[in-house]
Amino acid sequence: MGGSTALQVARSGMRPILLDQGDLGQGASGVNAGTLSLQIKRVKLMPYALRGHHEWEAMGDTVGFRKTGGYTVAFTEREVELLHERQAQKAEAGAPITFVSDNALRAAEPNLSHKVLAASFCPEDGYANSSLTGQYYRARLRDNAIPYLEHSPVVDISQDQSGFALVTPQGSVRAKRVLLAAGAWLKPVAAMLGVDLPVQARINTVSVTERMPPLTSHVIGHATGLLTMKQKANGTVLVGGGWQGRGTPQDGRGEVMANSVVPNLALAQFALPQLSQARVLRSWTGFEANVPDFYPLAGALPGVENAYVLGCVRGGYTIGPYIGKLMGDYILEREPELPLFDPGRDFNEDTI
Amino acid sequence: MAEIYDIAIIGAGPAGANAALTASEQGCRVVVIDEQSKAGGQVWRVKSAAIAKAPDTPETVAGNALRDALSISHAVHMSDTQVWQIEREADDWAIYVLAAGRSRKIMSRALVLASGAREFVQPVPGWTTPGVVGLAGATALIKQDMTLPGQRTVVSGTGPLVFFVASEVRRHGGTVAAIVTPNHRTEWLRAMPFMAARPDLLWRGSIWIADLMLARVPIFWGYAVSEVSGGDTVTSVEVCKLGPYGAPIGRVSTIHADSVCLGNGLIPAIEAAQLAGVPLEHRPDLGGWVPRADSDGKTSIAGLFVCGDSAGIRGAAAAEIHGKLAGLSACAFVGKGPSVAPVGMQRRYARAARFGMAMTALSIPKPGSDGLTTPQTIMCRCESLTRDDITTEIAAGAQSSNAVKSGLRAGMGPCGGKFCQSAIARLIAKTEGRPETDVPPPTPRPPLRPVPTAALAGDFDYADLPIPKPAPL
Amino acid sequence: MIRLVPDHATLINRTACVEFEFDGRVVTGHAGETVLAALMRAGIRHLRDAPTDGAPRGAFCCIGLCQECLVQIDGARIESCRQIVSGGLTVQSLGRPADG
Repeated sequence: MGGSTALQVARSGMRPILLDQGDLGQGASGVNAGTLSLQIKRVKLMPYALRGHHEWEAMGDTVGFRKTGGYTVAFTEREVELLHERQAQKAEAGAPITFVSDNALRAAEPNLSHKVLAASFCPEDGYANSSLTGQYYRARLRDNAIPYLEHSPVVDISQDQSGFALVTPQGSVRAKRVLLAAGAWLKPVAAMLGVDLPVQARINTVSVTERMPPLTSHVIGHATGLLTMKQKANGTVLVGGGWQGRGTPQDGRGEVMANSVVPNLALAQFALPQLSQARVLRSWTGFEANVPDFYPLAGALPGVENAYVLGCVRGGYTIGPYIGKLMGDYILEREPELPLFDPGRDFNEDTI
Repeated sequence: MAEIYDIAIIGAGPAGANAALTASEQGCRVVVIDEQSKAGGQVWRVKSAAIAKAPDTPETVAGNALRDALSISHAVHMSDTQVWQIEREADDWAIYVLAAGRSRKIMSRALVLASGAREFVQPVPGWTTPGVVGLAGATALIKQDMTLPGQRTVVSGTGPLVFFVASEVRRHGGTVAAIVTPNHRTEWLRAMPFMAARPDLLWRGSIWIADLMLARVPIFWGYAVSEVSGGDTVTSVEVCKLGPYGAPIGRVSTIHADSVCLGNGLIPAIEAAQLAGVPLEHRPDLGGWVPRADSDGKTSIAGLFVCGDSAGIRGAAAAEIHGKLAGLSACAFVGKGPSVAPVGMQRRYARAARFGMAMTALSIPKPGSDGLTTPQTIMCRCESLTRDDITTEIAAGAQSSNAVKSGLRAGMGPCGGKFCQSAIARLIAKTEGRPETDVPPPTPRPPLRPVPTAALAGDFDYADLPIPKPAPL
Repeated sequence: MIRLVPDHATLINRTACVEFEFDGRVVTGHAGETVLAALMRAGIRHLRDAPTDGAPRGAFCCIGLCQECLVQIDGARIESCRQIVSGGLTVQSLGRPADG
């Protein structure tokens, strides 16, 4: 998101510099499962998600984008109910989601379990390769001669009349404005400016198998959200579903928990029985930041002039490149195409 | 409910098995987990059940003694069992293993990692040709199945292993086409004072070399294999002379062979330690990146100990004693046995380690040795990525092992980076003009070995799925 | 010629021969040894094709790590250096995935 904003403000002649505590794009946007699905987006974020999809589509091959279409499946009556209720609302909000017949699903995904009771379909769904996020933004920043510093954690921020001084172990950087887009690390960074943001992090687990012969050709979701699955062009199958690992962003490392990986993979195999023949090669975790109302933080940092915050988007991988541009417009003092999300709002009230 | 042991030990080589023996003698409930069918590790790998009778070697004798001791001890030996995940569970350790196609959990209060080593091979053109095996890999084939990689073999590599393998090829009826070693005789001369501590090995080594000379096997000192040719199998090998810093400097000769053994020394298998959260340090004199630990195996993590080659390449003799020391440390942690190890044991360990490190020194990569990896040479075998691919990614701004891995999949294939990361990290450091200490291995990821989904799924019952509160709409 | 390292090849006794199949070809091995060892002695080194460039690959590390000697037995993938030979085993090589 920070990368997207940097590119947007640079287009209008502003001179941004990007600081990252590690490698670019290695936070949540570099380690998530890469699913771009409208079926798992919040109703009120649908306009943003639709535009986010277009951003990814435009990036295309450089980020491994594939518009495969996606099915969300239900295995029990309760899940069927949930699926209908939720997807109908998302369709109403503008996502081209339909419910499909058994036969249509079998024809499209012959290897899926026959225990599926109902499924919804969205042709806009697909995936990108989150591992390529860093590579992509590094190249765009270089193309646009935007400086960036990797492995440069900001350890202190101070403000005076002329702007901000950001201290890193490699030296200090001065800037008139500052955008905090540190994902799950927003809380400690905002605290450097004396602002307490109620940011928490989920620790989502993703696993990947070795290359397999073609098994499935769409992104597959589960009515409860406990499973996302897709087979990449190279044959590997990526399995996610928000199963929780352990650790905190402050400790720097999320830990994979067997008690999450095991049922996650078991559910994947339940949905796609031939997965039993695949070996799991890697499991990892990524921190997904959120605030209590699960809507984005995107706007001015409360109480600090010329400071901005962007994060906690909920579906941030999909929406990130788009909302990053909106943020750029806001910093440029232009009216964004869609409204932003005031970081100073009361998170316990229904304000969005 | 998972079993709870006082001490779990991963690896039943000289270090792990001795840790198990020592700890069970002190009255601890011990489990030692190993992926081979019998204890012994790589160095004392047991002969397969297909070998009904064969002459013994010093390795067989030492291995059998260890296996006998382990079989009469109270330690539980889980063989044919692979560890795929290690977690902390309250103050205990949860070790997830794969055996007979099923995953299960083992609990222990203390954990000793004795996961050994694997070999480092500097990539050269054609090293992916069938018929090219690792130098240490060849010892596994020979020790376990008494099988050679081919009929006419070029044996190439650093340290004493190259002569051991060549001699074993001859003992098993094969032909050594040539011995190629980047080491110079002067390097061996420098190691002699340390060799004096092990007259047995010095004598064996002299026999090997004398035999090879009598058989008129060409020995190329200060050379390396610069290219392997062949399609479905090796047909010939090019060797070239190395300059003072290990860089190839021309003078190429061709040797006909149907197989090649290639090895540039051992590197500690640190993945288990990384997963358990042990900080690493870069120690070229110990084989590269090693978990930070004391000589008694203690790490900065309570209840976690490392020993043997996985704590730094010091060889089998040191590993035996290091295993005992770590075993005692783990006993002390669980409140059994003496609180300090006998002084003599530490001294013997230091002596054995000095010898082992003198051997390791023969394999420390020289600054120019990466010159053997030409731009078109595959570095990441799993994804067929060449040196050119990697340098292009570095030039595009990938500054770390993680960044190269993300951008290119180097290290995301089935081997998990075990056979490319060392060379890639060194390439990043060299290209960027940074010290190797600045380029640590990528973030560790479980599983430690590929795990069949079916083994994880087990007898999954859909009704057991914990259905969460629906996400906010 | 004087040998200081004796030739022990003739002193090695193996268990009875058994037959198994590799890609339809009958291979003789000994019960209890690894599939890799039996294939090596049969002169079969090319065990699979690399998925990205289709180049031939064979066993490399021989200790179950590098995954180069991976084969398929009853649909499951296993390193041939870790799979024990038994009579009647059907071993298949792994080629390129259909969609590369």
